[in-house]
Amino acid sequence: MAICEPIIEVRNLKVNFYTYAGIVKAIDGVSFKICRGETYCLVGETGCGKSVTARALTKLIRPPGRIEGGEVIYYSDEGPINLLELNEEELRKIRGAEIAYVFQDPTSALDPLYTVGYQIAETMYEHGRVSKIKEGILRAVEVLRNVLMPDPEKRVHSYPHELSGGMRQRSVIGIGLSNKPKLLIADEPTTALDATVQAQLMDLLMDLKRRENLTILLITHNLGLVAEVCDRVAVMYAGNIVEEAPVEELFRNPLHPYTKALLRAVPNPRKKSVRLESIPGTVPNLINPPPGCRFHPRCPRVMDICRSKKPPELWRGDDHRVACWLYE
Amino acid sequence: MAELRRFLVRRLLTFIPTLVGVTFIVFVIAAILPADPARVWAGGEKASPEVVQRLIEEYHLNDPIPVQYYFIMKKLFTNTMVSPVTHRYIWQDLMTFFPVTLQLTLVAFFFIIVIGIPLGILAALKRDSLLDTIVRIFALIGVSTPIFWLAYLLIYVFYVKLHWIVLAGTPTPPYKITGVPLIDSLLKLDFQTFAQIIKRYWLPGFVLGFAGIGVVARIVRNSFLDAYSADFTEFAMARGLTKLRIYRHVLRNAMIPVVTVLGLMFGGLLAGAPITETIFGLPGLGKYMLNAIRLFDYLALTGSVFFVGLIYLVANLIVDILYAVIDPRVRY
Repeated sequence: MAICEPIIEVRNLKVNFYTYAGIVKAIDGVSFKICRGETYCLVGETGCGKSVTARALTKLIRPPGRIEGGEVIYYSDEGPINLLELNEEELRKIRGAEIAYVFQDPTSALDPLYTVGYQIAETMYEHGRVSKIKEGILRAVEVLRNVLMPDPEKRVHSYPHELSGGMRQRSVIGIGLSNKPKLLIADEPTTALDATVQAQLMDLLMDLKRRENLTILLITHNLGLVAEVCDRVAVMYAGNIVEEAPVEELFRNPLHPYTKALLRAVPNPRKKSVRLESIPGTVPNLINPPPGCRFHPRCPRVMDICRSKKPPELWRGDDHRVACWLYE
Repeated sequence: MAELRRFLVRRLLTFIPTLVGVTFIVFVIAAILPADPARVWAGGEKASPEVVQRLIEEYHLNDPIPVQYYFIMKKLFTNTMVSPVTHRYIWQDLMTFFPVTLQLTLVAFFFIIVIGIPLGILAALKRDSLLDTIVRIFALIGVSTPIFWLAYLLIYVFYVKLHWIVLAGTPTPPYKITGVPLIDSLLKLDFQTFAQIIKRYWLPGFVLGFAGIGVVARIVRNSFLDAYSADFTEFAMARGLTKLRIYRHVLRNAMIPVVTVLGLMFGGLLAGAPITETIFGLPGLGKYMLNAIRLFDYLALTGSVFFVGLIYLVANLIVDILYAVIDPRVRY
């Protein structure tokens, strides 16, 4: 493995949501490191905290959510900065410029009342890339061409509702890349799209990654996609990272019982099976999460210690870590 | 633009059945009352039979109601309808009394917009704070306060105690452009007349708009918060836009429902004007209509209803056009 030159490092991140029903401990001590130039994937089922983690990186958590602890070290060209200690204005300058986002649903991510050209232009304008919105709209044509938007000269003046889902997501990716960010956080970028368009857009993202020297944090629940594009994978369950490994290692040698169950749940087209595999039980309520290991009520290999103590992070080799008492 | 013209023609055509409907209903209600309108118009008990007979013929009072209605509408459209009570042409009356009502409504509308919208935005920005609660209570008080009570209370404070307002006369400048003194004085940059008009109208306008201020503030607050919690706002933050620019996106999206309510409210203000006009002694359309009802002058009444209905429809048409200006998804 090449030496990892980190671009961002998350240490013991904690996010709570203060709802009427109680405190939701959505992210409970998540740590990981993303190396420059790689595609790092966060996988897990709905509600496990993938998106919250991604948004917490630049403090994009809105009330009733609150970041309760941890550090997010961003290794900028000027040296490491703890993003969680920055003020709103300093963060704003990083968001969309150094660290950009692509959201899941392009239909709701774009403001319906402005043309995509305008929305690209204002993103550049607010980061000082262009001196006038008008100039930004001219530059937006190039941005759209870069994301392979058909007929960009015309599309720059289109409103979101005049575009197809795929074209909208291309615009969102274009907005994300308009300021040449170092890190692109793609939060389920293809989930809301047709299967055929999904493949096109992933190809585009990977192509852009090569061309623009990007690092990508990809959030997904699609294990097929993970196998195809990711370099390293972290599996999340109920607000914790339960396992992290290079993609081939993870698929060949999964350690955590949850990862194993997850991989078994992917239907294998070559094997005829009567019914789809599933993981028994349901995702725990995070207001009163199970004590100890949060997976223990559903775990087939549960031991006494799992019920009372949170498992430590254990390293198997230098790039495979797992949070499970089985490997103590 | 061709689309806009088609849309306008289509909408203007829908005006016809609506106006026929409202005038017919009002006319029928008045005409089926067990009274003898010709005798009332001719002067009551002592009316001479010849005059009564002439009135009956002139207004087809012995014909079936649809025929009466037809003749009334014909007179209205050919400007030959003369009120049997005031002996003036109805349209001439409308043109005299309507500007007063319009001015009153515009002043009320002004208060609703310049107080209601900022108040709503403030309440949204300081959600669940003391200010938000105050706005909520204010809205409740606004809709549940009787206009006449508030009017007399404020007259006592501003007229009797403070002498801040004028309660008589209707300032009319010597020139005429649109026929509405408030607008004319602004167009002519005649600020002296303008100040006079404001001095006469600000309190009645405020009273009339009072209920609307709180309602608009609440709607602005809620639709602002809706837009603020939308995905595109979160994405705007993720794009690193400045706060001011994010609020601009939020505000424009929040304005769509607000415009609807403002349009409906404008019509409501016109309808609510009679009470305010009566209390403040303003010779407006509302007062004219009340007078017409009292004197059984249902010709003047039908004419006024026709006119108010027309204004209401135009206000709604403007709202629909504004929609398309704000929201590119709206197509004609």
